[in-house]
Amino acid sequence: MHDAEGRRAGGAADAVDGVVPRWVAEPASQEGVARTLTQAAADGHSVLVQGGGTKLGWGPRLETIDVLLRTGRLNEVVAHRHGDLTATMQAGTTLAATNERLGQYRQWLALDPPDSTRATVGGILATNDAGPRRHRHGAPRDLIIGMTLVRADGVTAQSGGIVVKNVAGYDVARLLTGSFGSLGVIVDATFKLAPLADASRTVVVELSDAPLVAAYATDLLSRGSTPAAIELATDPLRVILKFESLESVTAGQAEEAMALATSHGGVGQLLDADAQDQFWTGHERRVFAEEGTLLKAVVMPADLASSLSWLDEAAASRGLSYVLTGQAALSVLHLRLMGPAEQQAALVSAWRERLTLGRGSVVVRRASAELKALTDVWGPLGDTFEVMREVKRRFDPRATLNPGRGPGGL
Amino acid sequence: MTSEFIDELERRIGSEAVVRDQGELLTYESDGLVSHRSRPGVAVLPQTVEQVQAVVRACHEADVPFVARGQGTGLSGGALPHPEGVLIVMTRMNRVVEIDIPNERVTVEPGVMNLEVTRQVAPHGYYYAPDPSSQVICSIGGNLAENSGGAHCLKYGFTVHHVLGAEAVLPDGTLVHVGGAAVDTPGLDLLGVLVGSEGTLAVVTKVTLRLLRRPESVRTLLAAFDSTDDAGNAVSDVISAGIIPAAIEMMDRTTIRAAEAAVQPGFPDAEAVLIVELDGHQAEVAAQFEQIEAISAKNQGWGVQVARDDAQRGRIWMGRKAAFAAMGRVSPSYYVQDGVIPRSRLPEVLRRIRKLEQDSGLTIGNVFHAGDGNLHPLVCYDDAVDGQAELAEQVASEILSYCLDVGGSLTGEHGIGADKACHMPKMFTDDDLATMQRVRVAFDPKGLCNPDKLFPTPRLCGEVPGPYRAHPAEAAGLAERV
Ligand SMILES: Cc1cc2nc3c(=O)[nH]c(=O)nc-3n(C[C@H](O)[C@H](O)[C@H](O)COP(=O)(O)OP(=O)(O)OC[C@H]3O[C@@H](n4cnc5c(N)ncnc54)[C@H](O)[C@@H]3O)c2cc1C
Repeated sequence: MHDAEGRRAGGAADAVDGVVPRWVAEPASQEGVARTLTQAAADGHSVLVQGGGTKLGWGPRLETIDVLLRTGRLNEVVAHRHGDLTATMQAGTTLAATNERLGQYRQWLALDPPDSTRATVGGILATNDAGPRRHRHGAPRDLIIGMTLVRADGVTAQSGGIVVKNVAGYDVARLLTGSFGSLGVIVDATFKLAPLADASRTVVVELSDAPLVAAYATDLLSRGSTPAAIELATDPLRVILKFESLESVTAGQAEEAMALATSHGGVGQLLDADAQDQFWTGHERRVFAEEGTLLKAVVMPADLASSLSWLDEAAASRGLSYVLTGQAALSVLHLRLMGPAEQQAALVSAWRERLTLGRGSVVVRRASAELKALTDVWGPLGDTFEVMREVKRRFDPRATLNPGRGPGGL
Repeated sequence: MTSEFIDELERRIGSEAVVRDQGELLTYESDGLVSHRSRPGVAVLPQTVEQVQAVVRACHEADVPFVARGQGTGLSGGALPHPEGVLIVMTRMNRVVEIDIPNERVTVEPGVMNLEVTRQVAPHGYYYAPDPSSQVICSIGGNLAENSGGAHCLKYGFTVHHVLGAEAVLPDGTLVHVGGAAVDTPGLDLLGVLVGSEGTLAVVTKVTLRLLRRPESVRTLLAAFDSTDDAGNAVSDVISAGIIPAAIEMMDRTTIRAAEAAVQPGFPDAEAVLIVELDGHQAEVAAQFEQIEAISAKNQGWGVQVARDDAQRGRIWMGRKAAFAAMGRVSPSYYVQDGVIPRSRLPEVLRRIRKLEQDSGLTIGNVFHAGDGNLHPLVCYDDAVDGQAELAEQVASEILSYCLDVGGSLTGEHGIGADKACHMPKMFTDDDLATMQRVRVAFDPKGLCNPDKLFPTPRLCGEVPGPYRAHPAEAAGLAERV
């Protein structure tokens, strides 16, 4: 039986992490989301929000689910203001569908996190998830300019607007970005967009060790090169550059990058149009589409080489293997880690011990129940955690929204 | 404000850091919005974070409101003192704490001037991107609080895109570290909401900023147009062509003439000029520059000037930056507004403003960040003429309503402060504002940190906003206004 909000009893097919929700709601409108949350609040039910479901394995293990709120029917590009380079999407719209639509005017939402055909705008925002071209365009928190959200008590509110520059009021949209659904349900969001480039080129540079990787990246950037992405990958260790601009510019920059590779004792390879698409898909899948623990680590750029060398040693000595990708200049690393859970937990804590608060972090994004029990998935959040807790309490006093899934288990 | 409380402050931080003399306190009675004035109960000038904590703790214990102040150049009354409160003047906390070139970071105390950051790192080939026109005279703490912008924010983003971390004293005196030096720190994005919170959530005592490498190539072009429609269409065409210049600025006839009279930049006498700057990789800049020239020609642009060297580039920017102050020659007083519109709506909104100018009989100059739709209309009037100040105020609010009509915002960079708090309900519903209040109370349950700003309150909204007058530093020729 469906009611107006598409609410029905949950079944085996709805199970998340093996837990069957009591209710499943799939509202088709902002009002429907508000009614779902108002109802849940009245019933004292907790609500788990699901977009594309690509990241539901992240976060703590669930005991029960009262209401599973799916955003899948909120799947429209509400407005594409191509003359303004902005667009508004409902939260359940996938990134791929969004960019297919925006591409009609040779524009895009400049985000390339994994799994774009399934990942939704709401889910990407809730996790502030980004990909290789974060190097040029930034993370979701850098591109969002407005949001409609529904609070746990069913009240709908807006933040920001549709213009690219705006300092009126608190930036609640940015606060919800990366909140893992703990403060409100995102109904729609407005972003500034980027033009699609005329041409692109990919250069893959193999280098023999981590210090060379860091030196090559620094050297390239100091020569005025402007890649859209500057990625790292193991194994073999390499730097992958994506150039996006006018045809003549990308050709020239790719050539410079190849020449510089040789002078750093590396081997460069230039990929043509078809080969590069395939390459980038493979690059993404190596970490995100295979089994294993997912870690996100951030270090200071100057510590990149030493972190990579340490990691190699630390994994080997614990009998662990890993595959790594990441943004070299930003020093954001994504790891897929394999091996005994207690050894993985030991590696995570050893890595955290190396890092000073604020100058690096290791977060366990996806893990087995066994590993989740052995380690603190978030790690230390520092002296602002009390304020975060207070923000959560003010937004969701009964802690019914995505309970335990917010940062630090909020 | 009781003298016992002031004595207590002196005991806690020393009398040399406390200003209680009524005459001296007058120095602080307003920020750049000089029409709003209020003498603080007392002012303190801390030099250390411990002193800031001691003051805030004393306020917390005694339920006394406090307001942080940077350089007092804000244009929305954000640093307007509370008559019964403590004004915490941050200018003595002006040390550069760490320059970290390998990591492309710099950490400063909040009293450091914006331009000083770039001065410090320029020898290494780096700069700090956000460039408000007041950058010689405004502080990083004020920039963080207002999420300040500048001409070059079109491509590089605003303050919020360049602040990575902040040390801050919460309204109960607790010291916290928000964000960090790495690009991401796990947890709720408290930094994202602290930036732009107009000093209402905490007192910031240290800031870590991201640095950028100087671009390889910079090219600047100026073009004249016979109508603001043509200039506005040229802006839209640039954006539609997929080009994001470093800056696109527009001036209309009124402000061009004012700038010519003041600093003779050699601008053509036209209905409008556009200044477009491209930067980045040499080959890309060269190719896009040709496209810009073509777009300008297609929209009947003429009198094109291309800067041949730094000197000529400097002259073009001088003309642009002087425009604001130069309006002082045209009119004894003027209102300045900071509304934002979707950039494709420029021609129609400028036409409405033009019509309003004719109907009201008041001169309205326009000089603004066209690339991101951030208008700065200057409504000129004469205080000596009966009723003109009131008329100008009505005209100024009318322009804000045009911005909101097309889906825009009350403010792009100057902030809401005391000035536009009463307009907030025109842009946000009660539920929107109540949601923002939830953030406010999470940080500041007692409501002591810069009260009566940003949110509409009855006390505030009974007052009539006043005219713009030159900021003292501007009058002294230290800064121009954009
Ligand atoms: C001539 C002129 C030109 C200008 N041009 C521009 C421009 O191009 N772009 C632009 O964005 N702005 C511009 N402004 C506005 C102004 O310079 C900016 O808003 C600036 O960031 C204010 O800095 P300040 O140090 O003067 O801060 P103040 O005016 O002293 O304070 C501004 C706000 O910041 C808060 N604050 C200050 N320090 C702290 C702290 N340490 N912790 C917490 N809160 C704090 C105050 O409470 C207040 O709410 C201009 C102003 C003038 C006078």
